[in-house]
Amino acid sequence: MRFFSALFVLLAVTARAEELTVVTWGGAYEAAQAKAVFAPFTKATGIKITTARYDGSLTALTARADAEGWDVIDMLEPTAITACDAGLLARLDHAALTKAPSDFAPAKLRPCSLPQNVFATVMAYAPNAFPGVKPTTIADFFDTARFPGKRAIRKSPDDILEWALLAEGVPPSQVYDLLSTDRGLRLAFRKLDQIRDHIVWWEDAADPPRLLAKGRASMASGYNGRFFAAQQAGDPLSVVWHGRIIGHEVWGIAKGTDAPDAARRFLRFATRPDTMARLSERIPYGPARQSALPRIGLQPGTGIPMRDHLPNAPQHGPTYLVRDSLWHSHTADLRKRRFDAWLARGEDDG
Amino acid sequence: MRRPRRGWPALDASGGDIYEKKKTGGIERTRQLRKTAHMVVEKSPEEPAVAPPAQRALILMLCALVIGAAASLAAIGLTDAVSWLNDGLLIAPRARVQYEAAGWLVPLATVAVPALGGLIVGLIWRYVSSARRPLGPPDVIEAVQFERALPDLRSGVASTLAAMVSLGFGASVGQYGPMVYLGAMLGGLVRRLRLGVPNLPAIAVACGVAAAIATAFNAPVAGLVFAHEVVLRHYSTQAFAPTTVSAVTGYVLANVVFERPALFLVQFDGVAHGYEFVLFGLLGLLCAGLAMGFMRLILRIATLAAQSRLPVLLRPMAAGLALGVTALWLPDVLGIGKEALRFATIEGAFGAGELAVLVTAKIALTALCIGFGFAGGVFSPALLIGILFGALFWTAIDSTGLAPTSGVAVYAICGMMALTSPVIGAPLTTILIVFELTRNYDLTIAAMVAVVFSNLIAHRFFGRSLFDVQLARRGTDLSAGRDRARLQAMPITTCLTHDMIRATHEEPLKDIQNRLAASPWSEAYVTDAEGRFVGVLPQGAETPEPPSLQFHDTTTVLEAMQSLRGFIGDAIPVVDRDTGKLIGVVSEASVIEAYLDISQTLRREENAVL
Repeated sequence: MRFFSALFVLLAVTARAEELTVVTWGGAYEAAQAKAVFAPFTKATGIKITTARYDGSLTALTARADAEGWDVIDMLEPTAITACDAGLLARLDHAALTKAPSDFAPAKLRPCSLPQNVFATVMAYAPNAFPGVKPTTIADFFDTARFPGKRAIRKSPDDILEWALLAEGVPPSQVYDLLSTDRGLRLAFRKLDQIRDHIVWWEDAADPPRLLAKGRASMASGYNGRFFAAQQAGDPLSVVWHGRIIGHEVWGIAKGTDAPDAARRFLRFATRPDTMARLSERIPYGPARQSALPRIGLQPGTGIPMRDHLPNAPQHGPTYLVRDSLWHSHTADLRKRRFDAWLARGEDDG
Repeated sequence: MRRPRRGWPALDASGGDIYEKKKTGGIERTRQLRKTAHMVVEKSPEEPAVAPPAQRALILMLCALVIGAAASLAAIGLTDAVSWLNDGLLIAPRARVQYEAAGWLVPLATVAVPALGGLIVGLIWRYVSSARRPLGPPDVIEAVQFERALPDLRSGVASTLAAMVSLGFGASVGQYGPMVYLGAMLGGLVRRLRLGVPNLPAIAVACGVAAAIATAFNAPVAGLVFAHEVVLRHYSTQAFAPTTVSAVTGYVLANVVFERPALFLVQFDGVAHGYEFVLFGLLGLLCAGLAMGFMRLILRIATLAAQSRLPVLLRPMAAGLALGVTALWLPDVLGIGKEALRFATIEGAFGAGELAVLVTAKIALTALCIGFGFAGGVFSPALLIGILFGALFWTAIDSTGLAPTSGVAVYAICGMMALTSPVIGAPLTTILIVFELTRNYDLTIAAMVAVVFSNLIAHRFFGRSLFDVQLARRGTDLSAGRDRARLQAMPITTCLTHDMIRATHEEPLKDIQNRLAASPWSEAYVTDAEGRFVGVLPQGAETPEPPSLQFHDTTTVLEAMQSLRGFIGDAIPVVDRDTGKLIGVVSEASVIEAYLDISQTLRREENAVL
């Protein structure tokens, strides 16, 4: 009898462990993940992976995670911090997940998240929009007199407020200190006022290259990997690395997961240096581990040396900002409130 | 290498060494003077042997390296501790904004934290510090200028601790004063070692100061110049080389090892119009006025605080409470205000009204915090007040619409430096700080114009710096130079002779005259039975007459020198001011010898190579 119950438990565990729902962002990013992470994981462990797509928001996590049986979630670090505080993510035992915690520095191992890659929010422009002088700095993004045309911006207070202060000449090291004051927020929104009538909002990370390609915007904010993929697909867009905002993408495990062991196994596999390097060879998001950097080689198929396209490649210049995830997480409500008020004010002004 | 003779500097026959043996005759007298001159020379009765030049060079460089590294690490440690406290105690905006949703928490911290910090500082003065007050640049200047030791280590550590608490809990005071003292204190430890290098104690202190400033501002040249301009007040090769080594050590540690970011990068493309230099000069003049107002208020509030009936223990807390309540509607006044410093360089970040209110509030609250016993400097508040005033000046010029300008940044920086320079009394340092902080040549030229005019006016109508005026109020006046100040600090009692002919007026006249005739003296000094001075009795005279010149025990060598003009006689009687008793006499020669001795000490120090 005991034997049968043990067998039953074993079977139940393996049965559940055979399938893992990994939630990610779709597009070029997910395609790269499928080749670099998901398929090798299934091959190595026999655990099947089904993917789900979400918009990265906390609302989606709250509404869909349990209903759709989410197990592992690919998240922006600030969202992961907020979700962790809200009890939506499982706490991680980092000692069991990685043998070399210092290898992740300067990324941080937070209670519910394990860093996986480094991406940058950059600005890109359609070259045919500016046949003469080209934009080179983040200040040019806000200068519609010299560089006319629509600006495609993510409809969110993330990143654009930082850019507004960088454009005012604030050095990156002081951006968050200044944005923490009411005066700094006012200053940022005043900068946004300068381009208020020229904004095209986007919400899907795949949109910015499309908006540029279709000529609906002359400049756009977006993620460096997406712009790179569009360039490879033949879109003639140019990326400006000045003022890039570097953020960390993390893995989290949903609190309600029914396959915690498989999920942890996946995290261990996904954050191995060779897995990270494989992803970076397919999409130019930097690895979160130092030891993965020297393993990155040429992109399969095209032979492009991918290290040159990572957000932290030295030739991109010294003006960049590293996103303060904790600050982002703790000020999300305030910034959203101010951002919504600013949006509404525009409509009132009509 | 010849062994130096014990007890006196080695004689270097090659003539390259200036520490040569003094002419005989002066030696005994000088040694006696040194023994008794408690105000000037606190050296042990036995002169340490002077080491050979190569060894001196090695000692100086090693001291410079060790002190430079220690002072730099201490400055970094203090900055980090303050920043950690600021974050934890919700003083830093970056920490405050993250608890914005907690409702009452941030306002509560705003009022309670500075008050609590004040209480802790009050307790430190009472129970830890033996000096019972903050120590700062004036104490360093005094120690170096008079070859004295710094106040005791315990008070120094207590002062640093109090400064850390003051700054960490958001008091409106500066961090550079405490850093300078911390560096000086570490350098001052060298004094305890007998290393056989003349002037080493002063140089070691200057090394600590240079490293602290070099670290704090990421500015090694400014650190080096500050140590000379404010602390040493002379340029000798002997001091220049070690302070340079120290400053560079501090810079390397801060910049290369710890990769501290530059403090204040400003984008500026150059002064667009020639007439703007006139405006910079004008801004300098206005800043001089404001700086004098600021310094007078600091001194005034300190006086008022001393007279107030508020218990000393509670004074810092009262100031903290006033600061916290003001910060509820004007959060920019809390702490060092590095956010406001940056905003001032951005056009339109402040309205003219806001700037005026903030300048006034910052002046008043800084004076209050310092006067009521918080520990901290005036350097960084001066930077903030100046930059805000510079922005205000630009806003006023810009609003007239009469002439186009090069933007707010250059006026803000000019204001910042023009206000700071008279406060710390260091025009060269402030100019160099602009250069090293902004790495912008155009900005430096503009700031230079504002700084010199401001410094000129404030020096003429107020004094060299707040430090010097504070020292002068304590009785140490450096305004007429080091030599004069040392003569002034040296009491005439250090030149006393007791082997004169002393008589009471009860002694028969004949006996006195006989004793006089048998001695080289031409006058006897007559007292009453209690020893009170009555007069001098010249040889052959019948009654004692009042002396042509008489000194008190409080008379300084400087006063003595000045009153000696036209004096004829053996010696001048020195009388206790309170009891009227005759203490002894001083001869004209011994006063002049004391004067020459000080001049020689200074000359040697200022021209020393190793």
